[in-house]
Amino acid sequence: MTSQPTTPPTTTDDVVRVEDLKVSFYTQLGVVRALNGVSFNIPRGKVLGIVGESGCGKSITGMSIMQLVASAGKTEGGKILFREFAGGDAVNVLDYERNSPEMRKIRGNNISMIFQEPMSSLNPCYTISDQIEEAIRLHQTEDKVESRQRAIEVLTKVGMPNPARIADSFPHELSGGMRQRAMIAMALSCTPTLLIADEPTTALDVTTEANILDLMRELQSEIGTSIMFITHNMGVVAQMCDEVAVMYLGRVVERATVDDIFYEPRHPYTIALLQSIPRLGRTKGRLASIEGSVPDPYSRVNGCPFHPRCPVAIKGVCDTILPEETIVDAAKGHTVRCHLYS
Amino acid sequence: MAVDATQLPHTTATQVEDVGQIPQWQLMVRRFRKSKLSVGGMYVLIVMYTIMLFSDFLAPYDHNRLDSNYAWGPPSQIKIVNGQVSTFALKQTLDQVRLQWLYVVDEGHPLPIHFFVQGYEYRFLGIFPSKLHLFGVEDGFQINLLGADKDGKDVLSRLLKGSQISLTLGFVGVVISVIIGSIVGTASGYFGGAIDNMIQRVIELLRSFPDIPLFLSLAAALPQNAPVEVRFFLITMIIAVIGWTGLAREVRGKVMAYRNADYTAASVAAGGSHWHIITRHLIPNSLSHIIVVGTLAIPAAIGSETALSFLGLGILPPAVSWGVMVRDAQTIEAITTYPWMLLPVLVLIITVLSFYLLGDGIRDAVDPYA
Amino acid sequence: MLNYIARRLINMIVLLVAVSFIGFFIIQLPPGTILDVQLQKLRQMGGDVPRDQIKALELRYGINDPFVVKYWKWVQRSAAGDFGTSYLTDQSVGERIWGRLSVSLGLSLFALIFTWLVSIPIGVYSATHRYTTPDYIVTFIQFIGLAIPGFLLALIILIFATRFFNQQVGGINSSEFMDQPMSLAKFMDMVRHLWIAVLVLAFGATAGLTRVMRANLLDVLNMQYIQTARAKGLDEAVVIWKHAVRNAIHPLVMSLGTLLPALVVGETLVAQVLSLPTIGPMYLDALRAEDMYLAGTILVMLSALLLIGNLLADLLLAWVDPRIRLE
Ligand SMILES: Nc1ncnc2c1ncn2[C@@H]1O[C@H](COP(=O)(O)OP(=O)(O)OP(=O)(O)O)[C@@H](O)[C@H]1O
Ligand code: SF4
Ligand SMILES: [Mg+2]
Repeated sequence: MTSQPTTPPTTTDDVVRVEDLKVSFYTQLGVVRALNGVSFNIPRGKVLGIVGESGCGKSITGMSIMQLVASAGKTEGGKILFREFAGGDAVNVLDYERNSPEMRKIRGNNISMIFQEPMSSLNPCYTISDQIEEAIRLHQTEDKVESRQRAIEVLTKVGMPNPARIADSFPHELSGGMRQRAMIAMALSCTPTLLIADEPTTALDVTTEANILDLMRELQSEIGTSIMFITHNMGVVAQMCDEVAVMYLGRVVERATVDDIFYEPRHPYTIALLQSIPRLGRTKGRLASIEGSVPDPYSRVNGCPFHPRCPVAIKGVCDTILPEETIVDAAKGHTVRCHLYS
Repeated sequence: MAVDATQLPHTTATQVEDVGQIPQWQLMVRRFRKSKLSVGGMYVLIVMYTIMLFSDFLAPYDHNRLDSNYAWGPPSQIKIVNGQVSTFALKQTLDQVRLQWLYVVDEGHPLPIHFFVQGYEYRFLGIFPSKLHLFGVEDGFQINLLGADKDGKDVLSRLLKGSQISLTLGFVGVVISVIIGSIVGTASGYFGGAIDNMIQRVIELLRSFPDIPLFLSLAAALPQNAPVEVRFFLITMIIAVIGWTGLAREVRGKVMAYRNADYTAASVAAGGSHWHIITRHLIPNSLSHIIVVGTLAIPAAIGSETALSFLGLGILPPAVSWGVMVRDAQTIEAITTYPWMLLPVLVLIITVLSFYLLGDGIRDAVDPYA
Repeated sequence: MLNYIARRLINMIVLLVAVSFIGFFIIQLPPGTILDVQLQKLRQMGGDVPRDQIKALELRYGINDPFVVKYWKWVQRSAAGDFGTSYLTDQSVGERIWGRLSVSLGLSLFALIFTWLVSIPIGVYSATHRYTTPDYIVTFIQFIGLAIPGFLLALIILIFATRFFNQQVGGINSSEFMDQPMSLAKFMDMVRHLWIAVLVLAFGATAGLTRVMRANLLDVLNMQYIQTARAKGLDEAVVIWKHAVRNAIHPLVMSLGTLLPALVVGETLVAQVLSLPTIGPMYLDALRAEDMYLAGTILVMLSALLLIGNLLADLLLAWVDPRIRLE
């Protein structure tokens, strides 16, 4: 693993640029190599979708940007460059200690995050406004009246009916969709540069999911926040994203605009992913219909990690040599990691 | 035919599954082995219970054999004399001022230790009559490897004999209480309705009693001069009666949760009988939990026996348990002058600690997220 | 809320009646009677007791009444606030119990405070420093605390205190202060006598509570809302103390209500070893002397304490955890 990946071409200013990120977990049962050199960029003002099967490292990637990976997870290489303003200086987030003041100033203020489980992502002991105001007071204003006012404002913005009353309720008094709205309100309360949404709608029913997605799209165009949208639902990708990065076993295997992903997919894994979507309606199920299963995370696969399941694998090549990232369309920033294109 | 119900609950991706295709129980064993302290506790207990099985054979004397020549006798010295492992005769004198027995080792009178000697009669494992003992010395003398008590009774023999009660009473009590708790809890959770309601009332009532006073008053009501077997049995029952309610509640909760699970529904749909559902699905699912609760309840039960005997409400002399021995060690003079009287306390603590460590390890192995 | 408390109180009374009936039944079970014990005492002091005196005593104690009658007499008197005159000492039962119960409660309260003050910070530390040497040490001490029954610990400490510090333990006051009114010197003397008892009482409970605290905090730290709190940019210390501990503390709050009665009940044996004038040894003596009025009254009082503790625990819990609704 010596070779440097070719950096993806950038024509726009990137909010975040992840380069060759490696994260491993040291557990009782062995080492889990969760990320094996992840590289991608998030263009300013755009929505980047991250897709892939369960366990491929989507969440860990998001957490890494926030420096929130559990302490068993060690970052073993790579860079995460964050650029707050267009044309401004980029900082490598990984240079900061997890709990350092610099890192804490970025968290919640410049980059915020929404999690998958709205049921458990709010603290049951505090009211909604307590929890939103906490962020506002930390980063924006220490004034109690003003922070309260802003909390109500942002709750109104996410379409809460009767925001003043909701503000004083406890999480358990709200439905799943309302809680996710509250989470979004909290995440947007300090108008972040980047919002990381980790499967924000997976736990919701279809109607609520549609509402929340609409809301996010709306707020995104209104505030101009860039979004990293993690999901394993290709239907949601089509609806939400401008660009897509497909991940497989801790690596980005294909990176393209949303149109290219759907109409000109290159990587055999992407193609398989697309074939697994039922034609009618969207699916909420896991992407389970690809033949074979993900190898267990404790073992390492030689060559292309996808070769045991790849229908077009090249004998003698794919099972020995790890494919490098190759540019297939420089203008649109379409890259792929597969021997078929090198 | 319905789907095989046991195959159903395995569809969601969890971290455990990621670990590969290792069966659940092997994972448990692996996790258990990881905690060295628990494994250590298990080995200590294996050794203890093995010794208990051979206790009569290992004990040189009957636990009630008196010998005033050895009152408060110190632990015997062991040396090799003329190529033979020997101890020595003791010269006993009275300290007139402090009124204490003083012992001087008579180096000129070695007592060779004989092995596989004939001694008092006992039944090996309660069945085979035997007189064989591991070691002993010439008649008329005594060897007290761990000293003697105020009547010259051999502390080692008493510890060994005492283990027969102390290591089994709490254990049996907990086993009975676990059986009651599981049955009642399962019934309560499975059938619900009036049965559940009634059982819950009974449990509520039992739990309204402060446990230690209830325990003491029940023990005080035991017949004083019943044979030791009867007392043993009754104390066991007291432990069981007081202990089952907590487990019954927990099992009830688990059973209620499982009752509503998909595979139970599948089994009902397939026409499974109550018995089938309970024994095939509900009990296996609660079993690990029951074992954990049981293992962790044993040390408390052992402590209860000790406490009762210590207060003179449990096992009574002439029978001996570790609690009875602790009672003998009650006076401060006894302990400060004759520290070997504290040995039963030490043995008790080691036993109880081992059970806790074992139970803790099992819990972590079975239920890493609880 | 008030409705809930009222219902609980009524339930409590029903339970107490049942407890008193069953408890009284168990307590009068042993053969022999208080009279046998008394007569033995009289005989020891001065030879024979005349027949008619025995008769008078039997009548006075209602020895030959059937169980239900004895029970009813006891209940009637208790309801009138007269807990009877103890067979043992001819003193008013109520008076003696209150005196002892207050010592018990005081001791237990100190032990409880100690337990809380020690177990929360240690539990938090050991959970946030999992698998480090201090965590292992704490875990080991916890196991010792769980493994050594309180009375054995009392015995051991007693020996060490006597032998190495030449400290007079046991009892509540040194003999020279016995009959003196309360003074600073007497108070200090009391503290010197009682610290062992408080320590012994608190040790087991602290070990248990630290473990619970550690386990809960570890669970809570895995919760999503902890990540949410971190994602806001909060300092780790705030995340732990404001967001995690607050959620992990529920079982401890619950234990507030139940631990106090448990300590009062649990000190029975410890007090016996340390010869403390608390309720436990008194109960034991009453049982031994077959003084069923005294024993019965103590049992019911302890049971009431337990039930009130449970109720308080539930109320407290509802107060800390907004998810819990009393119904
Ligand atoms: N705390 C941890 N300890 C050990 N391994 C971990 C831990 N957290 C994550 N992993 C491992 O890292 C890998 C990536 O996990 P991640 O949560 O990023 O997956 P994901 O793509 O988000 O999946 P999902 O769609 O299920 O959320 C997985 O193989 C997982 O087993
Ligand atoms: S490199 Fe080979 S195995 Fe991997 S995806 Fe491409 S063709 Fe398939
Ligand atoms: Mg995830």
